[in-house]
Amino acid sequence: MAEQNNAVLPKGVVQQEFNKAVEKFRTLLGEDNVLVNADQLVPYNKIMMSAENADHAPSAALTATTVEQIQGILKVCNEHKIPIWTISTGRNFGYGSAAPVQRGQVILDLKKMNKILEIDPVMCYALVEPGVTYGQLYDYIEENNLPLMLSFSAPSAIAGPLGNTMDRGVGYTPYGEHFMMQCGMEVVMANGDVYRTGMGGVEGSNTWQIFKWGYGPTLDGMFTQANYGITTKMGFWLMPKPPVYKPFEVIFENEDDITEIVEMLRPLRISGTIPNSVVVANILWEAGSGNVRRSDYTTEPGHTPDSVLKKIQKDTGMGAWNLYAALYGTKEQVDVNWKIVTDAFKKLGKGRIVTQEEAGDTQPFKYRAELMSGVPNLQEFGLYNWRGGGGSMWFAPVSAARGDECKKQARLAKRILHKYGLDYVAEFIVAPRDMHHVIDVLYDRSNAEEKKRADECFGELLDEFEKEGYAVYRVNTRFQERVARSYGPVKRDLEHAIKRALDPNNILAPGRSGIDLDTYKKV
Amino acid sequence: MSVNRRSVLKGMALTSIAGVTATGLGSALAAGPASTVTAQPLLALVNEGPAESLFLYGAMAARDSQSQLQVQRVDRDPGFMLEFERELRRGVPMNVIGLLDNASAALVLDMARSGGARIQWLGQHSADAGFSRHHLLRTEIAEGCAQQLSHQLQACGAGFSVTEERQNSAVTSRQLVASSNQTSHSAQWASSIGYLLASLGAPTTLNIPASPNTSLPVTGSFVSFSIKA
Repeated sequence: MAEQNNAVLPKGVVQQEFNKAVEKFRTLLGEDNVLVNADQLVPYNKIMMSAENADHAPSAALTATTVEQIQGILKVCNEHKIPIWTISTGRNFGYGSAAPVQRGQVILDLKKMNKILEIDPVMCYALVEPGVTYGQLYDYIEENNLPLMLSFSAPSAIAGPLGNTMDRGVGYTPYGEHFMMQCGMEVVMANGDVYRTGMGGVEGSNTWQIFKWGYGPTLDGMFTQANYGITTKMGFWLMPKPPVYKPFEVIFENEDDITEIVEMLRPLRISGTIPNSVVVANILWEAGSGNVRRSDYTTEPGHTPDSVLKKIQKDTGMGAWNLYAALYGTKEQVDVNWKIVTDAFKKLGKGRIVTQEEAGDTQPFKYRAELMSGVPNLQEFGLYNWRGGGGSMWFAPVSAARGDECKKQARLAKRILHKYGLDYVAEFIVAPRDMHHVIDVLYDRSNAEEKKRADECFGELLDEFEKEGYAVYRVNTRFQERVARSYGPVKRDLEHAIKRALDPNNILAPGRSGIDLDTYKKV
Repeated sequence: MSVNRRSVLKGMALTSIAGVTATGLGSALAAGPASTVTAQPLLALVNEGPAESLFLYGAMAARDSQSQLQVQRVDRDPGFMLEFERELRRGVPMNVIGLLDNASAALVLDMARSGGARIQWLGQHSADAGFSRHHLLRTEIAEGCAQQLSHQLQACGAGFSVTEERQNSAVTSRQLVASSNQTSHSAQWASSIGYLLASLGAPTTLNIPASPNTSLPVTGSFVSFSIKA
């Protein structure tokens, strides 16, 4: 094999050292699993962030199939100080895609570790490898006629449970808080040790996917949104498929209705009357995912005026806010809860309820109903056609489930986005006490001026929300260092102390969530 | 399904390529004869619309008159996406180009990644009535394509900007810009991209053909690509 001469190298690594590492990777993994050519790396470099592709270009990509291979890779990385960026399915679209946080990092792609290791239909759990997709699990459950239901994020069919959970993603069913449903991880540490969380360390244990906490410190959370290890197996709980499932939508006409929507929803969520992660989508999220394009209404630059939003509402019957929820259980349970829910809306005096029977196969109701019942689809990708241009960054501040808070956040976000000529495309994902306020900052990456505007807009969103005491729960790789600062120096010091202890050579995804021994300076 | 240049033009006259939809990915691949430009059959993935028709027009112009272009209409259908990925994982040789909307392209390109394919060209395009913007991420095989595209657009008086990044390069992106008041050739970019992608890696003396006049606005946002497996 000819010597590699690559302009993209890991930070602080010279060509000769890199080439030695690549040769060792080839010996370990075989030629086909070590990707260094430009046309093999472009697929890992399609980003949607407001940055140059070059800023997130990998120097190489590796594919592994076993834990032993991962241990071998880490040994080489430690020897040559090669930083590695691990992906499972790599479908974290609005949060950075598959590209590494820093230019030159070597991608470790675990897509080939895609075995469903176990599904227990009695205890209702699964144990999977990183490359397993929700689509694969769905097919398995259907083919084996198992009475189980999945919970997943919108890219459902092609995303995977391990990656989504490790990034603390959410879904839309009663099991929608995915990390809460996680039970047992296997993690390869930077020194090659294989650590199992919870009950997994007990020899002969048969409760690894049953009981989360084990004994002593519980460390599972430490490995999420972090760079302390490579997760190679993960267990998670599955919801039994209910005998009756009743999805519904409630359409609200006015933007200010968000206050009352949230006040009405909170008690229903806290009591468990509505058990799933409810979504409240604004008109543009609804329109984009319902195949409406901005160019259908206007080609004027800048943000879409409110008059156009009203016109879309009038033409499509969509609301300023569109609430999607579902009831699950026996017929008796669903009937009782349906009465409680409809009475609550009647008392509110606002909102038009749409049932599945009324909606039929219309979008976006159809895909929402599918997501809430664990049926994968790709409908929500339509958002990328709303404005077009390939730019998408999810700004995701957490809000208390209080009406005035949500309204305040919505107004603040809209004002800032409009200042930069961009649209407020948003949904609230409603937990009992918090709201994930997810805003898709959509812009045209082919337009350098607009890309710069989107970048500044995202920075201002972070700054202005922080001034009000808000912070995001998750962010794309371009802004991870910036967001880490929002959470204060003590947390950062602790995170770096852990990093020094577990990964002294800083080989595991330096920069992930702002954790990087090379650049972090204690305040 | 195979189409020749005449059917592409006919499709344009009908304002869409609805008449040339393919039956399925597998059959599209299986049905293709060898091209004189490249060894493998060339499969084009497109949505419906005038830009896509012009793209196909350009792609056909790069092919020998005897060669055929396999055309597959694509949307966000999970069935297609997963089948595409499966074929790639199985190692089925493919030579695929395309011009798609952002949603379909995001999926196709990610399937290409997980399927282990190579991507030689990734273009982000936006066009309004008088100006088009192009951001190209390319590999060595597409050396010179950005200049060819720029020359062609400049020659016909279209307003444009082209930004080019080369994968694995130390050089930062470079930009080529031309402004124009003409709008008559604002659609040229679509057929030029089709031509360039269909002839990628093949020495050719053919000139990029001027796009046929179309009364339809070729506006919007698109993604072009060349995938090899």
